Amino acid sequence: MKRRTLLAVGLGAGTLLALAGGTLALLRPGLSGGRLTPAGREVFAAVARAVLDGLLPADEVAREQAVQAHLARLDATIAGMPPALQAEIDELATLLASAPGRLALTGLSSAWPQAGVAEVQAMLQRLRTSSLSLRQQVYHALRNLTNGAYFADASTWPAIGYPGPRPV
Amino acid sequence: MSSQPDPIQAGLERGWKVLGGPHGALPASISCDVAIVGSGAGAGITADLLSAAGLSVVLIEEGPLRSSRDFNQIEAEAYPTLYQDSANRQTADKAISILQGRCVGGSTTVNWTSSFRTPSDTLQYWRERFELPGLTDDALSPWFLQAEQRLSIGPWLVPPNANNDRLRLGAARLGISAAAIPRNVKACWNLGSCGMGCPVNAKQSMLVTTIPAALDRGATLLVQTRAERLEIDGEAVRAVVCVPVAINGGVSGPGTTRVQARHIVVAGGAVNSPALLLRSKAPDPHDRLGRRTFLHPVVASTAIFAEPIEGWQGAPQTIYSDHFLGVAPIDGPIGYKLEAPPLHPVQSSISLAGFGADMTRAMKDFPRTQAVLALLRDGFHEQSPGGRVALRSDGSPLLDYPLTDFIFEGARRALLSMAEIQFAAGALSVTPMHEMAAPTHSWAEARQAIGALPMKRYLTRVLSAHVMGGCGMAGRPELGVTQPDGRHWQLKNLSIHDGSLFPTSIGANPQLSIYGLVNMLASGLARELGGKSVALA
Repeated sequence: MKRRTLLAVGLGAGTLLALAGGTLALLRPGLSGGRLTPAGREVFAAVARAVLDGLLPADEVAREQAVQAHLARLDATIAGMPPALQAEIDELATLLASAPGRLALTGLSSAWPQAGVAEVQAMLQRLRTSSLSLRQQVYHALRNLTNGAYFADASTWPAIGYPGPRPV
Repeated sequence: MSSQPDPIQAGLERGWKVLGGPHGALPASISCDVAIVGSGAGAGITADLLSAAGLSVVLIEEGPLRSSRDFNQIEAEAYPTLYQDSANRQTADKAISILQGRCVGGSTTVNWTSSFRTPSDTLQYWRERFELPGLTDDALSPWFLQAEQRLSIGPWLVPPNANNDRLRLGAARLGISAAAIPRNVKACWNLGSCGMGCPVNAKQSMLVTTIPAALDRGATLLVQTRAERLEIDGEAVRAVVCVPVAINGGVSGPGTTRVQARHIVVAGGAVNSPALLLRSKAPDPHDRLGRRTFLHPVVASTAIFAEPIEGWQGAPQTIYSDHFLGVAPIDGPIGYKLEAPPLHPVQSSISLAGFGADMTRAMKDFPRTQAVLALLRDGFHEQSPGGRVALRSDGSPLLDYPLTDFIFEGARRALLSMAEIQFAAGALSVTPMHEMAAPTHSWAEARQAIGALPMKRYLTRVLSAHVMGGCGMAGRPELGVTQPDGRHWQLKNLSIHDGSLFPTSIGANPQLSIYGLVNMLASGLARELGGKSVALA
């Protein structure tokens, strides 16, 4: 598995590995066989609850169902990407799923399943306006993947007034 | 699924020779007169002319063969099947997102149909700076005319959709010239889903014009087949070595296919064509290969109107303004062309900034959202040398394109121009596509806010839908990769026939520039190799 692509940009790979407190090989993988692992799902579920806050259903049970459906679409989105991009997403999810990686990259102190929406949103805003390229890249990657998978589904269109395809 | 007749399915039933993916296993080797890498604008024109001259042609396309029955106007299906990197192609630092086609027909299958001849001042710059005296308006005019006739390029007489109309209206109220965009369509339904493939075969892409013509003459099309490298022997290319790939671009099987040919035409599009030459270790004595790759970096501005805009509906791109290309010399501060983009949920939600409450507000306003974009004309100034194509460790291309202060200076002017036009058209609010921008409610407020925005990568959202250059044409080998006749300067039987030929960006949507220039080059090649004069129309 090539794990240098994302790391080669912004911070040096060595710097980040030092920050992450170990080698990536010891971490839980974020992606396996092109699909999110349970650890990867925890990351993207917390990100989805924060990014899509206001669009996801208000009811807690319905919201969780929507998040699970979103994660399934995210798997499909990732599976459609070429191997080099899948490797980058794996690297990102693997780093973020580990406590040292999460702390070093995002500063988020709570573990993903425990992190509240406001806490994750504050973290996203820090990444977005960070002076470090790598953190800005992480922000855009998380948000683009989330929006790309979420709005791909027809069930999300009525809420934004999009009628979908016209019959031909 | 479209209920319209599907000319591609009909052709397959007639016995077209298509292999790869679901169409049949690739053979270990094939021989032909000419191997063409790619099936987009340059490859399609070339295949049509060379097959008409009686030459046996093999086209090698990395993407799948999809046609009107598959084109269901759904982003989630179109992007993974029809676009490079599943519509997630980015520059090396991820500061620019690039939309580029990857399917039979290439970007012509998914473009928004805008059809402009190469601007005169662009050609003049090429003549003067790249020693290409033959590229005059008069010399190219007949080649453009034939392409226009063949591809039904002409004025679009249907009123613009609301999204384009606000660009027209705002420009008119400010006294800024704007005009209608010629389109390559026949009996267009005005659906608005051009970017997901035309479900009614109105768009006269390579998929429904030149490629079927070549296949009807017996050409072979290999799909889901990646040209991995050229087999180079001294000054000659002997063959193209190919591998089968899955829809996501991953290698899908063992073994290779060797396509042996007298002549090779590389037309995989900018970024990909130079990458193939790099993987092949093609001679590059003057360090030109992959350099000067241009993107028309795009910045955009969104506006909310009181009335519905419904930017997903109707022909996506029908009004343009070249006013800001003409306010300074071509080699001065960067100029920009204004157009409107189509708006669909996936691309729009990614392009609109923010998350949570901000994004919810923006997406609830989606039907009343209007957008204008500015294509920055890169490559005409020493501080705009473009990007450079390199290879990842797996051999896939990676474009390093630094966004310089020179580009950002123009980007700020463009954001100002667009906001002024949108307010003049009656916008309630305008938001530049920038991570630190908030909605502004008057031109005065927008002017101040945009003036204060930090113009930096990642904060300023930058996109591209036009990749150009990297195998630049020039009158001397020191200045470029290809000769004025399209042949590689060092490899005798290799031609480059795509947008990677351009020595700078075009300053307009590039498809007709590729059709016209390649029409001229491929007609010459057909005469040399086939001994026959043939014409596109």
